[in-house]
Amino acid sequence: MIASAIRVTMPILLAALGAVYSERGGVVNIALEGIMIVGTFFGALGDYFFAQRFPGLTQAMPDLAPLAGVVAAILAGVLIALIHALVTITFRVDQIISGVALNLLAVGVARFLNIQLFHVATQSPSVRGFDPIDLPLLRAVPALRPLATGVSPMIIVALILVFFTHWVLLRTRFGIRLRAVGENPLAADTLGINVYRMRYAGVILSGVLAGLAGAYLAIEQAHLYFEGMTQGRGFIALAAMIFGNWWPIGAMGASFLFGYFDALSLRVVRLPVPYEFITALPYIVSILVLAGFVRRAQPPAADGIPYVKEEE
Amino acid sequence: MKARLYLLEIATPLLAILFGAAVASLIILAIGKNPLDVYAVMVQFSLTRPDSIVSILFKTTPLIFAGLAVAVSFRAMLWNIGVEGQYYVGAVCAAYVGFAVRGLPALLHLPLCLLAAAAGGMAWAFVPIALKLRRGAHEVITTIMMNYIAAAIILYLISDVLRDPTQLGTPRVRTPLFAPSARVPSLGPFLGLLGVAVPEAGRLNWLLPVALATCVALAFVLGRTRFGYEVRAVAFSPDAAEAAGIGNDRVRFLMFMLSGALAGMVGLNDILGFFGYLDIDFPKGLGFLGISVALLAKNNPLGVIPAALLFAFLDRGAEGVQFFSQVPKEVIVILQALIILAIVVAYELLTRYIRGQRKREAESAPPLVPPTRRVSLDTAGVQEVPP
Amino acid sequence: MGQDLLIELRGITKRFPGVLANDHVDLTIRRGEIHAVVGENGAGKSTLMRILYGLYQPDQGEIIVDGQRVVLDSPRKALGLGIGMVHQHFMLIPRFTVTENVILGSEPTGPWGRLRTQQAQAQVAALCAQYGFALDPAELVARLSVGEQQRVEIIKVLYRGVEILILDEPTAVLAPQEVDELFGNLRRLREQGKTILFISHRLNEVLAIADRITVLRHGRVAGTVPARGTSKAQLAEMMVGRPVLLELPHPDVKPGEVRLEADGLSSSAGAGRTVRAVSLTVRGGEIYGIAGVEGNGQTELVEALVGLRPITGGTLRIDGRDITHSSTREIRLMGVAHIPEDRQRRGLVLPMAVWENLILGQHSRKEFVHDGLLNRPAIDRFANRRVREFDIRTPGIETPALALSGGNQQKVVLAREFSFAPKVLIAAQPTRGLDIGATEFVERELLEAKSQGMAVLLFSASLDEVLSLSDRIGVMYRGELVAEFRRGEVSPADLGLYMTGTQRAPQGTAG
Repeated sequence: MIASAIRVTMPILLAALGAVYSERGGVVNIALEGIMIVGTFFGALGDYFFAQRFPGLTQAMPDLAPLAGVVAAILAGVLIALIHALVTITFRVDQIISGVALNLLAVGVARFLNIQLFHVATQSPSVRGFDPIDLPLLRAVPALRPLATGVSPMIIVALILVFFTHWVLLRTRFGIRLRAVGENPLAADTLGINVYRMRYAGVILSGVLAGLAGAYLAIEQAHLYFEGMTQGRGFIALAAMIFGNWWPIGAMGASFLFGYFDALSLRVVRLPVPYEFITALPYIVSILVLAGFVRRAQPPAADGIPYVKEEE
Repeated sequence: MKARLYLLEIATPLLAILFGAAVASLIILAIGKNPLDVYAVMVQFSLTRPDSIVSILFKTTPLIFAGLAVAVSFRAMLWNIGVEGQYYVGAVCAAYVGFAVRGLPALLHLPLCLLAAAAGGMAWAFVPIALKLRRGAHEVITTIMMNYIAAAIILYLISDVLRDPTQLGTPRVRTPLFAPSARVPSLGPFLGLLGVAVPEAGRLNWLLPVALATCVALAFVLGRTRFGYEVRAVAFSPDAAEAAGIGNDRVRFLMFMLSGALAGMVGLNDILGFFGYLDIDFPKGLGFLGISVALLAKNNPLGVIPAALLFAFLDRGAEGVQFFSQVPKEVIVILQALIILAIVVAYELLTRYIRGQRKREAESAPPLVPPTRRVSLDTAGVQEVPP
Repeated sequence: MGQDLLIELRGITKRFPGVLANDHVDLTIRRGEIHAVVGENGAGKSTLMRILYGLYQPDQGEIIVDGQRVVLDSPRKALGLGIGMVHQHFMLIPRFTVTENVILGSEPTGPWGRLRTQQAQAQVAALCAQYGFALDPAELVARLSVGEQQRVEIIKVLYRGVEILILDEPTAVLAPQEVDELFGNLRRLREQGKTILFISHRLNEVLAIADRITVLRHGRVAGTVPARGTSKAQLAEMMVGRPVLLELPHPDVKPGEVRLEADGLSSSAGAGRTVRAVSLTVRGGEIYGIAGVEGNGQTELVEALVGLRPITGGTLRIDGRDITHSSTREIRLMGVAHIPEDRQRRGLVLPMAVWENLILGQHSRKEFVHDGLLNRPAIDRFANRRVREFDIRTPGIETPALALSGGNQQKVVLAREFSFAPKVLIAAQPTRGLDIGATEFVERELLEAKSQGMAVLLFSASLDEVLSLSDRIGVMYRGELVAEFRRGEVSPADLGLYMTGTQRAPQGTAG
């Protein structure tokens, strides 16, 4: 059960990490859901077409096709994130409206391209995931034993990224500047830091990570793309970030909480409560989290406020 | 000067639409079609056929309600992204009253259904606004979560509790049929009186004039009443409003509830005005279109009308384009999203430009000159205190 | 003598829409001196400094540093030449430590951009020791006092190896004792060979610390004089362009009934500093001024008095009625007017029109509203009258408030608050950020309010303003009212002692 929960947590975790980068820089990224959607689509697309175009290579190194999918997903995510950054940072449009518009755009684009390429509106052909790897060390822990074999390498990458992000935010020049820009952009500006550039970086990184989240979902979990597969996980990731108090490790813990309920809904089929209520659990939990913990939460001080460079 | 600003205000949405059309043209070109042809087909299909015009007007009604719901919330600086979920719940409530209550005359039954719809929408909007006001929970995320929960609950209700038992065993999953007294009367006879002799006009119903009247009423309330004034104050400067003794939370709550009530009405055009039952495949996605409509209308209740018409036109045009030009209608979805982005950027730039102009205007007023008849006090605090 | 001149500004001119901020300014600064630049609000001091710091570019003129002509097109450039600015409003990040704030933007890094935190902390500690600043490099800035935060700002520029420090109104937020500490630090910096540019409008302080003083007036240099041998009066004359001025005449009014009575008032809810058992009374026809350095509970007391902050102890009465737990609206309806200290945030809804702001808070009155509808003709008549009476410079009553100048914005607030004959007026920092004309206007209106029988409670960070306007004076320190005096009973120096908690007296008897 825990193993399955960990697997299911990954997309939320990755998206939440992306949210941390973006919001630490001071930009609220509601478009994460849309980025995940393009991530799922282009992830499946890249995987499928690579395998089609380069059958020889795929035979020789089977991990190349899913890797192509991952790269495609990241690029697509970055593109959407760039639009969000452009609209909210350079044009200073409200960050929430931009996010909502981009989510609509993502759905439209995914559907459109799906029709063009696969002649069906809502589903792609199935794709192969990465070769699973083994972690014999985990045999020692009974609860994690199912994870000792057949673990997706992306899970390992994701976990590494969590700790990496923590280190980056606290102990690198980039991290301290990003946080400064999210707390007091004016102060950072007077010290010669390019606020716009830092914020763009934060948003683009969130695009990379959310795209990665989508790629994992399509390539590793479902092994295909179908419309609506993200099911609002991009938004749950935001709740996870808030619950984690804008720190990566906290976000990981919170993501796991949501992932647990998500996994629960996949397992439990026969229960006195109607199935639909179980599927609604992650969302209910999100609301409870937001209701209960927001008072304690301390976002970066300048989060969500567009920065205006002092006019000459 | 004022005229120039006025022109700019009109030109901005047009420019945004053009921008969206330009990018969509690129996409159309990319799939090997001629954009001009496609647009010609779209316009021709939508505007020259009577059944299209009727269809556009029909689709406008729910878009107006959705647009108003969003606009009302945005005016109070609240982000009601949950219109989608609120209208599901409103639809289910209206449906229940529609088929479960029997023996009431239409004069009572129909308004009761409308009330149920509004109440359902309000109830669904209650949790997010209460959490926001009491706990500071961000309403964007909570309303979106409520959307997913609503979808799950509706699925359950329609396929299980409320399912029409006569339809078991068939692929049709819907509620029982509503009583005739719950159906919204058609506009056909009235239009006939006006000399409109189009047969399809019977598809239009009285909810359309109701929607239009609601727009006017809201414009009046927001612009001319004391409540509208308080909404403006709370939206633009909550701190100043608070210091002025305005109850910020009360204003926000009322506006959000109003938004929920309007959202609840979105589905009525289809289920009470056309189908007569609530099917599991009832039209969805109107909530998000409402956001587009509100943004295009700049949250102005009167502006919602042309904005809703435009999106209804695009929707209808998409069908035509798909059928006649083999261009998938998703291009239009993309077009809509692009228009929103372009619009908000354009409006932002315009607002900034206007602000700059106004500042310039005020600065050119002559500077303050201390009056000569009185002696003045040095701010540096230098005073010759008489011994 | 040539090597003596570190910085030369020649013919600096800078225009903004509608105003000539600097008009052919010539300024020379000698190496190792403390040079003060004084002038009123709007005289052009800030603009000049920002040009020197690289934030603005001059339209005309040249800047010469160390004999070389330079173009300062960014703060980085200025820093590179050894010029550093310590801002009036601190540019600090409360959640970061002292060290993190100091190194931000010039961080010592290892490979991969890794921060050398240990090294940085040691460097900061060394700097503090060198210049005698008492700071803990690992402490969170949020936990520091105002004076300590200012020291962090100074260390920030010293860390970047500046030779010239520009301090913009550094004493605005300091208590007299902290000002002395700052001056001690500045003298030590001078001993170590630094050059200091000190911008202020406080003549006493400037005469105490500077070597030479340049006076700006309306964008031009009125003169440069050595501090020794110059008197306040001479400086004042140069600043304003006319001979030394007298006080505003005080109307002779007999104080009436007690209008406002606070008894043991405490407010300790929420964040921010608390108000501790404040007791005071204000009668109709008198001005009670509260002196105190900003941040000693004045803001919180004002908020408690007008119902924006819950009162957790004691009582508050207006005209004998207990309003301790009344809402803002109820308090307003009882005839309490409030001029907020932050007019742009609390006093006005900037995007709304002048007429809308003129009825804010009064908008429910039957004069303005019929059956829920706004009575525009009546409102417009009222608004136009107020604009005329208060000489508010605006193109019209539909103009949004954000387009008005600070002085005119404050006039809108005043025009509104003085309407409908309030019984009590609570004025918080009413002349903050205003130029001399607007300040004079506001002070005249306060005296007018007194002569009309209003009970006026004035909060001001300007000791001189409090001394000149008040009939009775109270001092706030750390949330308590630590002393109370009648007009003329106390000297500014003594008041300063109370303001810094150095001396405490039993509260004066009311009446």
